[in-house]
Amino acid sequence: MPEIIEKYYSLKELWSSLNKLNKSRKYLAGGTDLTISLSYGEEKTELWIDISDIKELSLIEDRKEFVFIGAGIKVSQLENNPIVKKWVPALAESVKYYASPSIRNTATLGGNYVNASPCADGVLALAASQASVVLNLKNRRRTLPLLSIIKGPKKIDLKKDEIAEGFLVPKIKHEAVFYKMMARKRFGISKAGLCICYRANNKKLEYVSIALSSVAPSIVKAPKTEEFLKNKKIDQNIVKKACEIIKSEISPIDDIRSQAEYRKEIISVFLQRALQKTIG
Amino acid sequence: MSKDLFSFVGKSLERVDGAVKAEGKALYGDDISFPNMIYAAAVRNPKPRIEIRKMDDSLAKKIKGYFGIVSFKDIKGKNSWPLVMNDYPFLPEKEAKFYGETLALVLAENQRTAKKAAACVRLDYKELPFIDDPLKALEKKSLKIYGKDNIISSFKIIKGDADKAFKDCDVVIEKEFRTNYQVHAYLETQTATAVPEPDGSITVYSSTQCPFYVLDAVAAACGLPNNKVKVIQTVTGGGFGGKEDVPALVAAHAAICALKFNRPVRLAYDRKEDFMSMSKRHPSWARVKYGADKNGKIKACKVKYVLDGGAYATLSPIVLWRGTVHAAGPYKIENVFIETYAAATNKVPCGAYRGFGQPQICFAQESLIDDLAEKLGIDPIDLRLKNMIQSGDKTATGQKIDESCGLKELTEIVRKKSRWDKSEVKINGDKRRALGFSCAYYGVGLGAKGRYLDRAGAFVNIYRDGSVQVNVGNTEMGQGALTVLSQIAAETLNAPMKNIKLAEVDTSKVPDSGPTVASRTTLMSGNAIIEACLPLRENIFSAAAELLKAGKNKITAYGGFFYFGKKKISFEEAVKECWSKRLKMSEQGWYAAPNTTFDINNGQGNAYVIYSYSADIADVEVDIKTGEKTVHKIYAAYDVGRIINPKLAHAQAHGGILQGMGWAIMENLIVKDGIMKNPNFTDYVLPISTDAPQYDISFSEKLYKHGPYKAKGMGEVPLIGVAAAVRNAVKRACGVSLTYCPMISEKTLKTINDKK
Repeated sequence: MPEIIEKYYSLKELWSSLNKLNKSRKYLAGGTDLTISLSYGEEKTELWIDISDIKELSLIEDRKEFVFIGAGIKVSQLENNPIVKKWVPALAESVKYYASPSIRNTATLGGNYVNASPCADGVLALAASQASVVLNLKNRRRTLPLLSIIKGPKKIDLKKDEIAEGFLVPKIKHEAVFYKMMARKRFGISKAGLCICYRANNKKLEYVSIALSSVAPSIVKAPKTEEFLKNKKIDQNIVKKACEIIKSEISPIDDIRSQAEYRKEIISVFLQRALQKTIG
Repeated sequence: MSKDLFSFVGKSLERVDGAVKAEGKALYGDDISFPNMIYAAAVRNPKPRIEIRKMDDSLAKKIKGYFGIVSFKDIKGKNSWPLVMNDYPFLPEKEAKFYGETLALVLAENQRTAKKAAACVRLDYKELPFIDDPLKALEKKSLKIYGKDNIISSFKIIKGDADKAFKDCDVVIEKEFRTNYQVHAYLETQTATAVPEPDGSITVYSSTQCPFYVLDAVAAACGLPNNKVKVIQTVTGGGFGGKEDVPALVAAHAAICALKFNRPVRLAYDRKEDFMSMSKRHPSWARVKYGADKNGKIKACKVKYVLDGGAYATLSPIVLWRGTVHAAGPYKIENVFIETYAAATNKVPCGAYRGFGQPQICFAQESLIDDLAEKLGIDPIDLRLKNMIQSGDKTATGQKIDESCGLKELTEIVRKKSRWDKSEVKINGDKRRALGFSCAYYGVGLGAKGRYLDRAGAFVNIYRDGSVQVNVGNTEMGQGALTVLSQIAAETLNAPMKNIKLAEVDTSKVPDSGPTVASRTTLMSGNAIIEACLPLRENIFSAAAELLKAGKNKITAYGGFFYFGKKKISFEEAVKECWSKRLKMSEQGWYAAPNTTFDINNGQGNAYVIYSYSADIADVEVDIKTGEKTVHKIYAAYDVGRIINPKLAHAQAHGGILQGMGWAIMENLIVKDGIMKNPNFTDYVLPISTDAPQYDISFSEKLYKHGPYKAKGMGEVPLIGVAAAVRNAVKRACGVSLTYCPMISEKTLKTINDKK
């Protein structure tokens, strides 16, 4: 641990205190990634600012055109929240696959986002749900497309001291399928993941949004595949073509968790199975 | 002896150390502390092989709370760890041979500062060429990093004439198999604390399976006589073989530091350094060949088996020897040729892991037997039954099995329970589900190669109030030894279970009892306890008879009481009577295993005193589009002699099966160019409860006349055959004959797709 951890309970308190703090500082929310990098000697910041109990960050609100989900929400709080279940079903579904129950009780959705991992389950669900991120620095807010500031593994374009305050998800009626390949049945990191949000009418996909994990330097969307599938009536031929397209729009790598070829193959299998599901 | 006659043996009694562990009160290695204690941290080799030029701690000296550095120059004894080949220096002098090897230690007032200081030590070194592939290491022209041929150890078994016999076979099959590392993943990492005593002696607290190995190493490193080193085993959070040899190195490092600074020193590893530098299951390569006549009589077997030993020998020679002895499988085969090698590489030294060189070769040979059955068109269980060892048959080393052999019965049990004969491949969408079989035998104890260590002592001391202190030299590491040994003591003395106290090992209280390995503790320490208890029992039973005014042979003893007609007295009353007569109420016990033999020229001999047996059937589902496997159920049957505690025996079975399954399908340590890439639980994936199969466990108790209450040994048996059973199920399910462990989804899918 660093020598000092400062904790604040409101944004007001946080913004008014920043000036007097040590320059080498970092935010601490759930700490489930930060403490791991600490034990690997990668995290050397002198001061952590604990924002895990800032009240404004732990809201889930049903607003006019959007649902707002606070960045400080613990992952386990998402699973049975009625607003999340109704409007962001992918996120509720993702919790089942997300780490272990103890980590879910501590880890935050915002932390999952700013950690900028290509395998982030929460971000995969948010991306498929067409979410935007709300950033806040001393009450100056910016709302940006979710993936626009993620620049690669663990790289995110935040200004100094800027926080992710929450996520805005458009209220579009839809269903979701969330698939994640792991080295074991549960409590694993994804080798490849696919989340599809859709609305089908008489086997036709009226609405479709697809995001993928662990096949690129960050969570990515599959725009070509989406474009191809939109308003198509799903049959075997369409499924086959869609699988070809999705394979062509990703270029995963070999690493210690899996292999490029396998990842491609799995994404294709996942898409095939997900599309089968959309037509029941 | 009918089982019902026992008061304690054969009963599922509660673990004696259950509550203290479950309630979090047990003191593990890192929980104890001493006044003025300081902390050590290792400076580690950043490359696979280096020439060490200089280590400079001037930067560390600027850190508050830093005490100093310890190198090989501070070793007061001999800089050679006494272990099998004595080739591993406590601290390297000129050359470091594997990534993660401890080069030096730094000391500081707390652990964090010590780690920080270790990171500040500037190392001046030259990278040397290295070798990371054991098969390349054995090539004639390869770089030599160990002796003149990179061979740490090698054995041969020659029985009959295999090459000639193959010519007469109707069917011959030959394949190559590979298996990867397995990491013990004990919950408690390696931890030792060394405390210098005022008289110049040293006490070492160690998380270990083998306190006497720790004693040997600390005495050697400190240049102290054995009676000036006392080793106390702290409550040990898991071993599985990973706390057999290496805790001695960790403890020796702590002791060297303690003597230099004359303070208690704690050395506790973090998970990453534990992964990098501590022992592992050996990666293996094997080429196996079986030949049979058309009726399925196996006539010849040929095996070449290579283990990746790593940079130092450690336990490789004995691991290899056990693998060698069992390499042909539990079959009666007239013609056998086995050659085995432990090759040196610039990687972490491998050693003991539950099964000790057997699981790797069992995977290869039990896979190939299955493929042979396919080739012959014979049911794989029928083929095995035709060739399986039974009482009166001889093993590959020519050892006649003359008692306690239940393998055939075990096979029939799992065959029936799994409905093998009616089973078919079940197809559900992309999923294919089927059963696979394997069987194994396991030589209990150290065998001929370790026979000089195969003895154990016990001390039993009965207090005046009837409470009993029992000391043994074998350890509890989670497997249940304290409970099982307490049951044996209680049974022999007819003392209530609650009166027996067994604790972690203190080397000053019992003679060197060898290591706690080879599934030998129940057998060895159990027999030593019985030997110590018998004279005490004599006294107590005589006193009880006297008090009951009965002839000595007329009384009944059960459950801590003595009965004659309607009269009854307690164990405590009998003990009190003994004390009032000033009888000797404490005894030493000693048990030396019967003799074993192994002719180094042809590998013939009575390799082990007795064998345990197992049969497994795995029910496995494969997703042919993703390569994923679900092990739904394992039917397992064991013959381990008398079961002392059925509940604990079941627990041993569950743990062994899950570890075997993890090794078979998911645990995948990656070492690339000599560097370990995933030394953590994020990326070295272990099975967890959601991966656990259903367990269907059976026992067939074939009694062993020299065993304590006729028990044999259990600990390692459940792991050995699991991987082959899973592999054989995968083959039946989707028609691919896999030849590697772990059968990760990536490779399986490729094999399936390549076959299309």
